Amino acid sequence: MLEVKDVHAGYGNLKILRGINMDVPTGGIVTLLGGNGTGKSTLLKAVSGLIPLMQGDVFFNGVNISKMKPHQRMRLGLVQVTQAKEAYPAMTVEENLVLGAYTRKDREGTRADLEKVYEFFPVLRERRKQLSGTLSGGEVQMLVIGRGLMAAPKMLMLDEPSAALAPKVVLEIFANINRIAKSGVTILVVEQNVRMALILAQYGYIIRDGVIMMQGEADNLISDPAVKDSFLGGSVADTSKSLRN
Amino acid sequence: MGFDFNSLLAFIIFGVTIGVVYGIVALGISLIYSGLDIVHFAHGEMYMFGAFFGLVLAHNVGVPYPIALIGAMILTALLGMAVERVFYRRLTRAGGGYTVAGMGMIICGFGMSVALVNAAYFFFGAEAEPFRANLDYIPRLTFPGDINVPESYVLTAIISVLLMAGLHYFLRHTKTGLAVRAVAHNKDIAYLMGVNVPLMISLIFGLACGLAAAAGVLIGPMQSVQVEMGYLMLMKAFAAAVVGGFGSLPGAIVGGIMVGIFENLGAAYISASHKDIYAFLLLILVLMFKPSGLFGVEAKVKA
Repeated sequence: MLEVKDVHAGYGNLKILRGINMDVPTGGIVTLLGGNGTGKSTLLKAVSGLIPLMQGDVFFNGVNISKMKPHQRMRLGLVQVTQAKEAYPAMTVEENLVLGAYTRKDREGTRADLEKVYEFFPVLRERRKQLSGTLSGGEVQMLVIGRGLMAAPKMLMLDEPSAALAPKVVLEIFANINRIAKSGVTILVVEQNVRMALILAQYGYIIRDGVIMMQGEADNLISDPAVKDSFLGGSVADTSKSLRN
Repeated sequence: MGFDFNSLLAFIIFGVTIGVVYGIVALGISLIYSGLDIVHFAHGEMYMFGAFFGLVLAHNVGVPYPIALIGAMILTALLGMAVERVFYRRLTRAGGGYTVAGMGMIICGFGMSVALVNAAYFFFGAEAEPFRANLDYIPRLTFPGDINVPESYVLTAIISVLLMAGLHYFLRHTKTGLAVRAVAHNKDIAYLMGVNVPLMISLIFGLACGLAAAAGVLIGPMQSVQVEMGYLMLMKAFAAAVVGGFGSLPGAIVGGIMVGIFENLGAAYISASHKDIYAFLLLILVLMFKPSGLFGVEAKVKA
């Protein structure tokens, strides 16, 4: 569904991505993993069109979207869910959701999707008249995912849905991402929470210093010693084990 | 001089009427600021051009005053959109975009102000022209205590309130208004929601300049229309916007009304020849005691 071919991109003269190749097949969940400052968010911005490509191409359903503006790419069904802190705090929950459906003309479908989002995340229904600035971190994350769903996406790109959330909330959110994928939406999830992301996804890419360092089936990656060392943080895992003992 | 309650009331009524006009100009300045992070220094010239467009439509073309008002708003909106598209946008994110570079934009605004004033001298001449409008169908209001409010003031109050209500309705209750607010808060996210951000920016500019034009046509029949009129209006509208809290739309209106009342009272009870000082006195007082303005948000957080 999404093909990224030899993409170079960055900010001004600063090149961050140096030749990224990535494939997200229809119907799957693919994860892009990497630490802070490795180029994860830059790649998302390059795919959604917020920054121009320096080199390379991005294809969505076979269409070359490299030169399109963000709102044009979004109208094709390629929807980026922003980081949770980027809800509109001065708008109500429902206004945020309606904004997600900004490009849609079918009122019935929009209303049905609003119901669907409220079914996925019942807490949003309870809070729909509240300003989104008053929500908890987990609720805002649900809100931005819901806002993405309101656009009736073919593919959702999620930017660190687990960031700064309690493990229990992360579990709930990931379960919902899985349900969304089952409902027929292709998912690309960018994560730092490597273990959780690899359990959720079928395929993973690991990015470092602007290049794809490693890629493979999620099951293989999770047991790969190299991944374990550099990401699952041998030391951290050991610490938590020693804490338990 | 004995204290006369009726004349105090009269000064306040006139202050409010002129204040709502400051308010709608300040509204435009606040709209542009909250939407685009541009402090628009050429906004007074939009007001001046609006007044001249209205004058030309009413006198030379001969259309009725309300049509001249609407025509002036549309023409000035187009002028403002053209200025934004051709000049300001080139300074935003190296010409491509929507996030603004500070100092260059301020200088560009000042330059645009000078350029527009000189263009106006070229087209409209240096004479101050009276704006004769037939307003006989507007009732003259008489308040208890023999306070007569002339037609032009009544009309000004009505139209200003209508414009404010219209803008409020547009921003709060329409989908496009929602998109404008989304652009004002964060352009990247608005883009990702599928909002055509450059189009919304043009719209914001058009709206703000249309409002300034309305103020110009409304002030026209009270004072005369001349090329240098924009400067003082800009200063007072800035004072109004800052008093209310820069970037706050309700604040712009309340600030405008306060400036209007304050300067009328100052002119009446202190000295009429220093009328234009009082707005800035109020500004200084507000900045001393509440620097963020009455409705201001403390250090607006921008992504």
